[in-house]
Amino acid sequence: MSAIFPKWTNWLPLAVLVGAGLAGAGVAVGVTIYLTPKYYRVGYQPTQPVPFSHKIHAGQLGLDCRYCHSEVDKSWVANIPSASTCMNCHNQVLKEDPRLALVRASATNNTPIPWVQIHITPDYVYFNHSVHVTRGISCVECHGRVDQMDQVHQEKSLSMSFCLDCHRDPAAHIRPTDKVTDLGWKWDSDPIKAEQMQQTYGAKFVHDWKVESLQSCSACHR
Amino acid sequence: MKTILKYAPAPTTGRRYWRSMDELSDTPEFKDWLQREFPAGASEMVDEQSRRSFLKIMSASFALAGLGLAGAGCRRPVENLEPFGQQPKDYVFGEPEYFATAMPTRNGAIPLVVKSYEGRPVKIEGNSLYPGSNGSTDRYAQASILNLYDPDRAREFKHDGKVVSREDALSFLDELSKKFTANEGEGLAFLAESNTSPSRARLQKIIAAKFPKSKWFTYDAVDSGIHQRAATQAFGQSVRPVFHFDKAKVILSLDSDFLGGEDDVHNHIRKFAAGRKASAGMNRLYAVESLFTLTGAGADHRLRIQAKAIREIVSLFAQQCGASGGAGGIGGGVDVKLTQDWITACAKDLVAAGKDALVVAGHRQPLEVHLFAHAINSALGAIGNTVTLLPVTENSNLDLKDLDSSATDTLIIVGGNPAYDLNWSPKSKTVVRLGYYADETAEKSNWNFAGAHYLESWSDAVTSDGTIVPVQPLIQPLFNGLQELEFLARFAGEGRALSYEIVRDTFGGSDEAWKKFLFNGFATNSVVQPVNATFVVEQTPKIDVSVTNVPSLEVIFYRDAKVDDGRFANNGWMQELPDPITKMTWDNAVLISRKTARELGVANGDIVEISLNGKTVTGPIWTQPGMADYSLGLALGYGRERAGRVGNGVGFNAYKIFSGKYIETGATIKKTGGTYTLACTQHHWSMEGRPAVREANLEEFLKEPKFAEEAFHGIEPPVTKSLYPNPLDEAKKTALHQWGMSIDLNACVGCGTCVIACQSENNIPIVGKDQVLRGREMHWLRIDRYFTADPKKKNNPHFYDFKADENQTDENQQFAEWIDDVQAVNQPMPCQMCETAPCESVCPVNATVHDQEGLNVMAYNRCIGTRYCSNNCPYKVRRFNFLDYNKRPLSELKGTMYSTTLTHSTGEGWVDGGTNKEWDLFRWMKNPNSGMRTEDEWDLIKLSKNPDVTVRMRGVMEKCTYCTQRIEQAKISQKAKAGASDDVRLTQAAGNIPKTACQQACPAGAIVFGDVSDANSDVSQLKALPQNYSVLGDLLTKPRTTYLARIRNPNPAMPDYHEPFSTEEYENASLTKKGNS
Repeated sequence: MSAIFPKWTNWLPLAVLVGAGLAGAGVAVGVTIYLTPKYYRVGYQPTQPVPFSHKIHAGQLGLDCRYCHSEVDKSWVANIPSASTCMNCHNQVLKEDPRLALVRASATNNTPIPWVQIHITPDYVYFNHSVHVTRGISCVECHGRVDQMDQVHQEKSLSMSFCLDCHRDPAAHIRPTDKVTDLGWKWDSDPIKAEQMQQTYGAKFVHDWKVESLQSCSACHR
Repeated sequence: MKTILKYAPAPTTGRRYWRSMDELSDTPEFKDWLQREFPAGASEMVDEQSRRSFLKIMSASFALAGLGLAGAGCRRPVENLEPFGQQPKDYVFGEPEYFATAMPTRNGAIPLVVKSYEGRPVKIEGNSLYPGSNGSTDRYAQASILNLYDPDRAREFKHDGKVVSREDALSFLDELSKKFTANEGEGLAFLAESNTSPSRARLQKIIAAKFPKSKWFTYDAVDSGIHQRAATQAFGQSVRPVFHFDKAKVILSLDSDFLGGEDDVHNHIRKFAAGRKASAGMNRLYAVESLFTLTGAGADHRLRIQAKAIREIVSLFAQQCGASGGAGGIGGGVDVKLTQDWITACAKDLVAAGKDALVVAGHRQPLEVHLFAHAINSALGAIGNTVTLLPVTENSNLDLKDLDSSATDTLIIVGGNPAYDLNWSPKSKTVVRLGYYADETAEKSNWNFAGAHYLESWSDAVTSDGTIVPVQPLIQPLFNGLQELEFLARFAGEGRALSYEIVRDTFGGSDEAWKKFLFNGFATNSVVQPVNATFVVEQTPKIDVSVTNVPSLEVIFYRDAKVDDGRFANNGWMQELPDPITKMTWDNAVLISRKTARELGVANGDIVEISLNGKTVTGPIWTQPGMADYSLGLALGYGRERAGRVGNGVGFNAYKIFSGKYIETGATIKKTGGTYTLACTQHHWSMEGRPAVREANLEEFLKEPKFAEEAFHGIEPPVTKSLYPNPLDEAKKTALHQWGMSIDLNACVGCGTCVIACQSENNIPIVGKDQVLRGREMHWLRIDRYFTADPKKKNNPHFYDFKADENQTDENQQFAEWIDDVQAVNQPMPCQMCETAPCESVCPVNATVHDQEGLNVMAYNRCIGTRYCSNNCPYKVRRFNFLDYNKRPLSELKGTMYSTTLTHSTGEGWVDGGTNKEWDLFRWMKNPNSGMRTEDEWDLIKLSKNPDVTVRMRGVMEKCTYCTQRIEQAKISQKAKAGASDDVRLTQAAGNIPKTACQQACPAGAIVFGDVSDANSDVSQLKALPQNYSVLGDLLTKPRTTYLARIRNPNPAMPDYHEPFSTEEYENASLTKKGNS
């Protein structure tokens, strides 16, 4: 009686096992890489209704972040400036520029400009801007070098582990409170020395200012 | 395999109690009920829509979803940020704003501070700047914010049922005004609810001058004007009494529910609690009453007697207190000897207290009782001390009988709901109505003007001490409603007809003073000084009735603790709040005593028909412990027909047999044969031997101050050391604060304000009667009300060993004699925040863990809904969101769990019987956020939510958080202020410790929250008091919420002097346990 199954089928279970294992590993790797905010959030760069350049305003002109985001040290949110804030300068500068038509209309008619939100935390996260920027955590920690961006994109993942990295070790990120909005500021031009100073002064600030390393749920979730 | 449950067989001898005829005959259907998890058909689809059409829709939706995935669905939704064009001055986006305003009440106002986010008011709090106030409110004020966002409020101006524009309606008003200017107001009448607004009084005068022949009628469905009328008559000048419960040492309440159903309750509770601090000088309260009220529950001695008999015994008090009075007597079918002794001893105590005594009569009682109360106060010298008299301007009080003859042409109704609570029907040619709801009266009016909420209006009011307070709007009228003052001013033809201008004109004064007035929320130094007045002896009534001690049935109509006179009927928070005494939700009932129920042969839930003066009403029976025999208690305000989606058809309408008298005799009652299910949240009528509440009499407390911990060691073992280290020990070393709470059972009267405040602050949804019956109410904070009774009246020797006693079911307890004369104790029960929390150790996903400051926190987005935590919580304070209550349409509140059809009416469909229907699925696809809720509901309900608190979804456990959002906010603002310094700790000295919502709202100041690691904080000092104890402390849960034991102050000379019944109950329980083991 001839064999119903040819000889090579003996390898079939092994092939299936290995194949399934590889596929499983592939899915696991795929999920870890692609289904994380690091992949699907970082780099988000929508087109804004007004081609506003942070690079020019914050970088070249050196405007302080808080000139426009004036309530960042008072409120939960860093406010988007009203059009009237823009018009403080732009009623003199680029008065007739067509790119500013929407801003002028907004300031005149009090109609909002529909800016597209880039940095979003989930609704169950209660992130407070004021307590971070007043206690020596720079804008750059979460938003990157906005002063070098023509069109703003999301630079950091803003995932829970991203928040926890800093909350577990605030000393590695804290800086003098007057340097919070100075996005390019470094302790020293020498990166090794800067790192050492961050360690030394960071620990000192954390101790002197009684900075808590808050890792319990109630810190962010209500 | 299906588990076959054994149900407790009914006793074969003696009387049997059953829930249905099926149970009685033990039918297979009944057995099936017992054995199934859900009733037959509950888990199957038995909708009017067929399964086939459901599948069709489902497949269509999956196809659409597939398209969505392939196309735009994969993209992150674009969210826009829309800033102002012109930045408003001093406005910080994202930070709440607070405005001082006031809630007008019938005879006063409650000064408020309202929190507003992005222009929408979200939380009401009392104004703590107001002199003498502790920043508290009553539960009506707390709940009133939900009325603002009520989807059933009047949204349109209507003429004979047709919608007209606001402009057309106003021009009609102008024409009407012109017409009556010509004939001086002939045939014109106004019907308004009473309020204290000086601006309205001014407009009223202008109207009276312009239309001299018009008539102005004022009415209240629940009228407490008797206090002023009686005082005016008793003292021979226009005055109204103000009671100072804080100064009184001995208080006698004659059917006066000053802690519950009277006006200005939050002030009374505050003052009463101030005089009741556990010490040798604490006050003593005697209550003579028929209904079991919060005042009776707080009393040291309570005399249970028919309400109509109080008129006859009050002169006995008067005689013995040295006031003149006619002959009285004891009636109502009570124990004459006991009552006589009671009155004698009580009167002696009053006389001994002299000017520190206080006698108050309730608004339901007739004028004679009030005059006697004043006579006694006067004889004791209490006038000027515990009672002061404020001068008032007398309002012309027209008799409502003349309403129809005055309003031959036009009747203008301002507020109120006479078609419901006055049995009014239109007799005039034209009825113009300004109303907040499209209610029963709106249906009978020709012109309906949509009214504005007080949070949308400019007005003013006068509080009970005479201070003028502003009513400031927090938001533009949501549906362009018309404010009362603007309505009246428009009709009066005033030039300055904006409500702001009217109020400003009334106030007068400088702009600085006006600004200060608005900022503070009251006019400084506007308190009215009391007048000196002496009691006019001739006013003592002569009660020369021949009293017979033969009982006859009386009916008592009372203001409901939840819906007031019906005005809060469409307020879901109020409907679902358990009644402070009966603990009933979503219904009213015929309250009856055990003995009377026995004699009439009725039991809980039996529907009875009550006839009075030829009118009848039907309602279910509820046996109320502590109720006077031969009295029936009917709560007003229910049985609304056009209240809205929430209030329609809830309870029965007692106004049907109400004729303005709150106590009526000559009623007859008969069983109709039907039964009705009442949703009561706390059935069990005894403590079941557990020392959750601890009480002592004052003498015992003074002798043994630490009784609360020590005297109960016989029942529970003293706290011993745990085998395991306390997980918080490490955190305690570094954390900035350790939060804790102290609840004073001696101050708490059980009014329920905290429950509503918590609901408002924490976005707690309502669930509906059916869900309450399943034990799924969502209140994070509940008030446990225990009845305790004289153990001697309990015949069963093993009564306390409740496990062995099958007779101690609720059905049986309603007939047990011990419930006749009960003591009641209230215990607010929020999360106890155990340091070694049993809930945490069983959570498989670490969704509930401790933070470093001692909070037992709940991470909703981690919770997977196993409910193990709830199962393991000894305090039963965890709540599970079973059916996505935040997204459930209001129309489903009344149905059973699975009554949903696949279509629901849109918009106002509930009014027209639901003819405009829409598929739920389509609605959900159009707006996935709103769930099945109709658009109008969703738009308004989401405005009412507190943005600082997550709105929890289905399948998630939730519980009290000690208002963690307030704690975080306080910490964050302190840290932001500290900047580069170490001044980050919240301290009581700096005054920046946050208040929890319940603490903030509590009129008695019974709840104190704070930092227990600071030995000087209030909460630490309260916890150091000797009467401090933890509930179920023997479980070593180390709760952060502890209680101060209740101290009673009974008079040893009284015939009903007793140890607290609960204490005796524990002692017996421990004896029984020892005896058994």
